[in-house]
Amino acid sequence: MNHGLFVALLATGILYGTPLVIAGLGELLAERSGVLNLGVEGMMLMGAVTAFWVARGVAGPSILVLPLAIVLAGVVAAATATIHAFLTITLRTNQIVSGLALTIFAGASGLSSYIATVAGLGGSPATHTLRAINVFGLKNVPVLGPLLFDENALVYVSWLMVVGVSLYINRTRPGLHLRAVGEDPHAADSMGISVTRVRYAHTIAGGAFAGIGGAFYTLAISPEWSDGITNGAGWIAIALVIFAFWRPTGVLAGAYLFGVVTSLGSNLEARGVQLPSELFTALPYLLTMIVLVVVSSGLGKRRLGAPAGLGIPYARDGG
Amino acid sequence: MTATLQPPVRRRAAQAVPVRLERRLDQPGRIHSALLPVGSLLLAMVLVGVLLGIAGHDPFAALSQVVSAAVTGQGSISATLTSATPLLFTGLAAAVAFRMRIWNIGGEGQLYIGAICAAGVGIATGASGLAVALPLMLIAAALGGALWAAIPALLRAFLNTNEILTSLMLNYVAGLLLGYLILDSTSYWRDMSGPTALVYPQGKSLASAAFWPGFTGGGLIIPLGLVFGVALAVLVFVMIRHTWFGYQLRVTADNAQAGRYAGMASRRNLVAVMMLSGALAALGGASQVGDFSHLLDPSGLQQPQYGYTGIVVAALARYNPLAVVLSALFLGAITNAGLNLQSATFPQSLTGVIEGIILFCVLGGEVLSRYRFVWGRR
Amino acid sequence: MNEPSLTESRPTAVALAARGVTKRFPGVLANDNVEFEVRAGEVHALLGENGSGKTTLCKVFTGLYRADAGHVEIAGRPVDLHSPADVHARGVFMVHQHFSLVERMTVAENVMLGWRRGSRFWFDRRAAEREVAELATLHGLPVDPATLIGELSMGERQRVEILKALCRGAKVLILDEPTTVLTPQEAEGLFESLRRLAEAGSAVVFISHKLHEVLSVCDRVSVLRRGVMTGTVDLREQRAVDTRELARMMVGREIELGRREREELVDPHADPVLELSELTVTGDHGNAVLDSVTLDVHAGEVLGVAGVAGNGQRELADAIAGLRPLAAGTVTVAGKPLRAGSPLAAIAGGVAFVPEDRFGVGLAPGMTVAENMVLKSFRSGRFSAGPFVRRRRVVVHTEEQLDGYELRGGPASVVGKLSGGNAQKVLLAREMSGEPKVLVIAAPTRGLDVAATETVRELIARAAEAGTAVVMISEDLDEVLDVSDRVAVMCGGRVTGVLPAAGADVEEIGLLMMGHTADPAGPAGTPAPADPAVASARAERTA
Repeated sequence: MNHGLFVALLATGILYGTPLVIAGLGELLAERSGVLNLGVEGMMLMGAVTAFWVARGVAGPSILVLPLAIVLAGVVAAATATIHAFLTITLRTNQIVSGLALTIFAGASGLSSYIATVAGLGGSPATHTLRAINVFGLKNVPVLGPLLFDENALVYVSWLMVVGVSLYINRTRPGLHLRAVGEDPHAADSMGISVTRVRYAHTIAGGAFAGIGGAFYTLAISPEWSDGITNGAGWIAIALVIFAFWRPTGVLAGAYLFGVVTSLGSNLEARGVQLPSELFTALPYLLTMIVLVVVSSGLGKRRLGAPAGLGIPYARDGG
Repeated sequence: MTATLQPPVRRRAAQAVPVRLERRLDQPGRIHSALLPVGSLLLAMVLVGVLLGIAGHDPFAALSQVVSAAVTGQGSISATLTSATPLLFTGLAAAVAFRMRIWNIGGEGQLYIGAICAAGVGIATGASGLAVALPLMLIAAALGGALWAAIPALLRAFLNTNEILTSLMLNYVAGLLLGYLILDSTSYWRDMSGPTALVYPQGKSLASAAFWPGFTGGGLIIPLGLVFGVALAVLVFVMIRHTWFGYQLRVTADNAQAGRYAGMASRRNLVAVMMLSGALAALGGASQVGDFSHLLDPSGLQQPQYGYTGIVVAALARYNPLAVVLSALFLGAITNAGLNLQSATFPQSLTGVIEGIILFCVLGGEVLSRYRFVWGRR
Repeated sequence: MNEPSLTESRPTAVALAARGVTKRFPGVLANDNVEFEVRAGEVHALLGENGSGKTTLCKVFTGLYRADAGHVEIAGRPVDLHSPADVHARGVFMVHQHFSLVERMTVAENVMLGWRRGSRFWFDRRAAEREVAELATLHGLPVDPATLIGELSMGERQRVEILKALCRGAKVLILDEPTTVLTPQEAEGLFESLRRLAEAGSAVVFISHKLHEVLSVCDRVSVLRRGVMTGTVDLREQRAVDTRELARMMVGREIELGRREREELVDPHADPVLELSELTVTGDHGNAVLDSVTLDVHAGEVLGVAGVAGNGQRELADAIAGLRPLAAGTVTVAGKPLRAGSPLAAIAGGVAFVPEDRFGVGLAPGMTVAENMVLKSFRSGRFSAGPFVRRRRVVVHTEEQLDGYELRGGPASVVGKLSGGNAQKVLLAREMSGEPKVLVIAAPTRGLDVAATETVRELIARAAEAGTAVVMISEDLDEVLDVSDRVAVMCGGRVTGVLPAAGADVEEIGLLMMGHTADPAGPAGTPAPADPAVASARAERTA
């Protein structure tokens, strides 16, 4: 593999990996509190459509419109996640089916697409997009320059998120409570920690993260709207959390691996490699399966890192 | 950023909430069980109406459009039956798996694989007539779907790999395979006969002798697939309720540990259920080819999302195979409205929204059958 | 009571009291106008059988339940309790039988959990560990703050629980059946700690149903029976208290439990029915959770297996029942070795198994009694017509098997709605219906009331009389001594000694439970960590 291809692959890997980083961190937060949310795909699409709607429709300088788009994307997706939180935490329904319901509700042929239809988002590109920021003018440093210093703002934010979530989980009291609630809600409850509140907070926060991840698609990857623009990224984000053994740094590494594989096709095609495009498009999905198999059959056999209370509704009386 | 993650602090307020759920001690009665989905549906309709209102449309106009497209309009019941047919299969597929707590989300891909197998066999044998082509198409589809579903099943049974994600990933792979066969290759399935076929890629048609005959009468067209589907629903119901195989599945679903303790082959049963589920969904794909499109049509198979809707069908039927027949008809009507109205009031994407809301309401209603709300603290 | 400084300084100040507490559940009056008070500086026993309302009263004390009538007083003042946090703020803490500890977090993290101290936002693990180490020394409860809970013995975990309470300023400590998970020696250590606490001015409520424990540690005893407080006895004034009298207050009649001598059924010269040779089971980390266990049991014999929970008893039961693959060794029933790791082979070989987790392992709780009754025998063909179920025959069979068990509910009842005692009867009826050669029964009477306990023990005796070789695993040493012919003691996955039950020395059994092998040459076993995930969590922490 020559030098240029290597850098190009890593650069596009970071581009395609960033939404996975952000959404994966969100799912990680929800799962560490014990809530499995399979609605990531739907929440990402809600974020994506909201961000696109703002970026296309709101006039003003990009420096104001883009943050607004990102924040609104987070808010809307968080609101979507609240449905899941209510159903699974308050009503204690099956988390798997509820998450699926969320993806059907909000997903590629659901609310995100309905909003796009009603708001007439098809056809024309966004007026504001995230552009790369040449940090300290270091863009032209070989290899590292284009990778580390020529990214858009949300990529830098995603790195801060990894550090932030990592610190939050391990070095703060809410993080301590989060881990306790995910591991053993009964013990946490008996020590006066509100399981309900912790689970709601992190499920909703997870939704916000997913929405911001989705916003990355419409603000940085593709300038035009198409239904189901995330193409299964939400599901890959869920798989990433397993792959990462529920650790933020693992999510980062895994997301970039998936980013590289996702962009492999376009990079190779640009260099004249002739293979069916469907094969390349299928690679991330196949890689997800392979990764899951490796993790589950080998290291993960003991559910390494999986919160012990994951997926189990909590009720004080055990019912 | 970390600050936003801190739970909202208002300790007293949360503790003072007087409503809580208490487990019901009595068994919900039959009427209660039957009324629940109906009540859930009514609530869902109200919520959809509110949503339409927010979007600036008249909910009642939309409702009358749906009713017209699904029930009262010219040929509308036949159209509803057409949409209900694949949902009956994917609904059964989801019901069988979910009832056993095996999360096969791969109905979508299994349906595609069924269509691919059935179309391939149908193209090859269609000229020999229905008597040859029909059984071969059914067998090929069922086999293909079962094998496709066996991938996540075996991974789950022997390597403990999460079947939700693997079965779902295979949907994307199956979808890409579908596209490759028709749009991006010169495969056996693709029609390469004329110049237009090269510009507008499409599937090769079956010989008309292999078209599945429907039952017509009284202005109604009942597809053969629908009849098969209903028969399968009965068979699956009997299998679960009245055979020892079904008994083992029910034990394992209720308490997998107890199943193992009693020496049941839980892995074998898991793989069997998943393969059965895959075969059922795939038969829906065969019916798409045999009953309706008579060729392999990627967008026609993918656009309506029959596989995912099947999950809603199954949940609405509370995973009861017989009830799946009714809920498939109901969701068939909605899918049909989405496909055929394509209006500003009722774009196709609204079907996903409605399905999602129905599922939320069914899940919420389920809770009320197990718990009841109690005001005041214990 | 208007002068709190005065009342608090008096040693007899009431620390916690129930005044006319009544609590109803559908169909049950769990607490009926209960009066109860604990004074600062005393260890006060709350004595009562299972189902007598002890737990309900404690849940009222800890804010989980709200009394229908009456109220709770803390430090002499009526209080309105909303949640455990509320109760903790008032200095009342409860140590439950199942510890409220997160296994995959460290001692320090567990102590700090939910404790508002220091920074509200940041959590400094090192500082927390230092602080907890100091507090542990201060309160005389030695634990290593950096250790994961899952790696601690039950006695150490209990210390962490008590430490948690003391750190938060506990004035009243309620301990629910605290000795069930301890060796006799560990229990002695606990009693000393409790006495020290009381002398330092704390009030301790000691919940138990074991008279001898109560007599050895408590100052006063209050007895609950079927939700009614039957009386309070001051042991300091009345040292020579009549245990039979206390027992009568507790159960309302003379207890008949106790060692029942059976006629000698065992023929020591016959070949044993169950032979275990060198049974070894490895855990997730390659460690031996069952370490070359060799035992044999004759027809008509009850072999009791004693030990602190988590020392290989569960693995032993599972290994005999074919639920765990063996790393080495064989299980032989009536001379025929069983295929290892196959539940089906064990069933076919005549092994019946009543697991400790009745609803979690032994039964399908969502299904009916009839459906559960054929869980192991459905393959026999008796109930089949081709692949189909002959429902009528299943029901008739169920009725036959349950005859004489006095089960509440019929074949159509859903098992999950049965009481623990009735569920245990269904399990026993099913397991004995196959006329087994071997019966393995774990925690046979856990959670059962007196009547059900008696029935179950009677059924075990009847099984032995019918010639079954019985292995009875129980953490209740009294039960083991009362019911068995011989006692095998386990520690760290090994059998540390086998001795006759009649006239066995409790002290000696206690030493065996701690790993002092009967054979002085043998190595002392060390308790294995209870949770296999612990080591991986540790790896995560150090990463």
